[in-house]
Amino acid sequence: MLEFRNVSFSFSGRRDEVEVLHDISFSCGADEIVAVVGPSGCGKSTLLSMANGLRRPSGGEVLLDDKPVAGPNRLIGMLFQQNTLLPWRSVVENVELGLEIRSESKANRRDKALTLIRQYGLGGFERKYPHALSGGMQKRAALAQTLAMEPGVLLLDEPFAALDAQTRVVIENDVVKICRAGKRSMVLVTHDIAEAISMADRVVVLSRRPATVKEVFEIPFSRHAKSVSEVPAMPEFASYFKRIWGTLDISVSGMGEAA
Amino acid sequence: MNISAHTALVFAGRALVLAVILVGAELGIRYGLLSRLFFSSPTEILGALTTQYEQGTLFSNVGITVMETLLGLIAGSLAGIAVGLVLPQMRTMSRVIEPLLMVLNGIPVIVIAPLFILWLGLGLPSKIGISVYIVFFAMFIPVYTASLQLEQPLVDALRVMGASKTQIFWNVVVPSAMPSVYTGLKIGSGLALIGAVIGEFVASRAGLGHMILYASGTLDTPTLYFGIIALAVFAAILSFAVDAMGPLLVHWRFADEK
Repeated sequence: MLEFRNVSFSFSGRRDEVEVLHDISFSCGADEIVAVVGPSGCGKSTLLSMANGLRRPSGGEVLLDDKPVAGPNRLIGMLFQQNTLLPWRSVVENVELGLEIRSESKANRRDKALTLIRQYGLGGFERKYPHALSGGMQKRAALAQTLAMEPGVLLLDEPFAALDAQTRVVIENDVVKICRAGKRSMVLVTHDIAEAISMADRVVVLSRRPATVKEVFEIPFSRHAKSVSEVPAMPEFASYFKRIWGTLDISVSGMGEAA
Repeated sequence: MNISAHTALVFAGRALVLAVILVGAELGIRYGLLSRLFFSSPTEILGALTTQYEQGTLFSNVGITVMETLLGLIAGSLAGIAVGLVLPQMRTMSRVIEPLLMVLNGIPVIVIAPLFILWLGLGLPSKIGISVYIVFFAMFIPVYTASLQLEQPLVDALRVMGASKTQIFWNVVVPSAMPSVYTGLKIGSGLALIGAVIGEFVASRAGLGHMILYASGTLDTPTLYFGIIALAVFAAILSFAVDAMGPLLVHWRFADEK
């Protein structure tokens, strides 16, 4: 289980500290998908960077199975918004990168990588370089790279934002399936409410800076959909969308008033 | 027009241009249309080559300049790559040294050359030194800039996977700099030759630069042309050799162009 417990974060500016996140608490259990939504620039990505070990919270802590996350952790994998495949490595070399970093034997990591590549529909592209792949395929390769390390927790920082609508649904669906099949915890940061409802069991809505947890919505029905693309057609979808949008909307009109 | 026909036409055109120049020079000199002081004909230039060969100075002159250039290119590139990659890893050191390097880079090599002659003597080492000096900067500047402007998401992704600083250096910093190494080699190969010849012009006892300077002083126009052509041919061979290194240095950019 991944738990954010009273997490705060401040950037130190030239003169003073700028608080980005204030007293954020929520958790994500095994076989659970939590989406974090919030206005642009509210610090959603910063929140994930404390779970992946790149940043330390200024206050509170992030716990993995009740132990504080003190740095990069082999049980926590991350899929970034940007393409993070190394341009100078072929697909298979990219997929086995994490295993190479962990000094797994060459034969072993090659085996695992090739299995994952076939599993995620990249068969035939093993020797290609990332620039020869479409955006969707690059994401699949990055996903295979992360999953090769068999993380219990998957962090996703708006990884589908740059994909076209069709590719996006297909990959969202794959990610949900993979996560459920492996009983993994997944925390997804997104600005897309429909995506959040379609994929997650719970949606955490953040306010604008300094971000606090504004409201948490349990989404009981998305888990039962056959595929992610079916969720928006479910009868409950519209009311949840409205409520979450409404929660976010207060922030939006708040900004309007300020201006 | 298909591609092979187009290529054939281009090569035929190039051969024609070369033939016009050679035949023009030959006839021009023979029929007194061109002055023997300012120009030279292919036969006279071949004569100069033969004379050099008979005097036993052909291989020493050509060989020395080639040696100086290659050693200067290799040593200067290696030094430029090493410093360019490692310096950005040490923030304080890099800020201390950077202005010094920029000032050194700004000094015209022609005025630095006498210093190298003073330090290393009239022979080979001083020419190699001058060559190393200019090649170093041609390599250092692009490699250093590339190492400072890493793609942060790549570094972050590796850190999340648990990569150490050493692993990030070899997996991200070094390959990120490879396109710049290739650029540095292309520029550096030309500069290495310039460095060697400048050294020979300032003070020397042998080499193509020495031969050209001597021919110029004695109004030996055919030898002067022979020297220039020999340098041009060597520069072209060097440039082809460096181009051929592309697939080794930046293999991923050449991967799908087969």
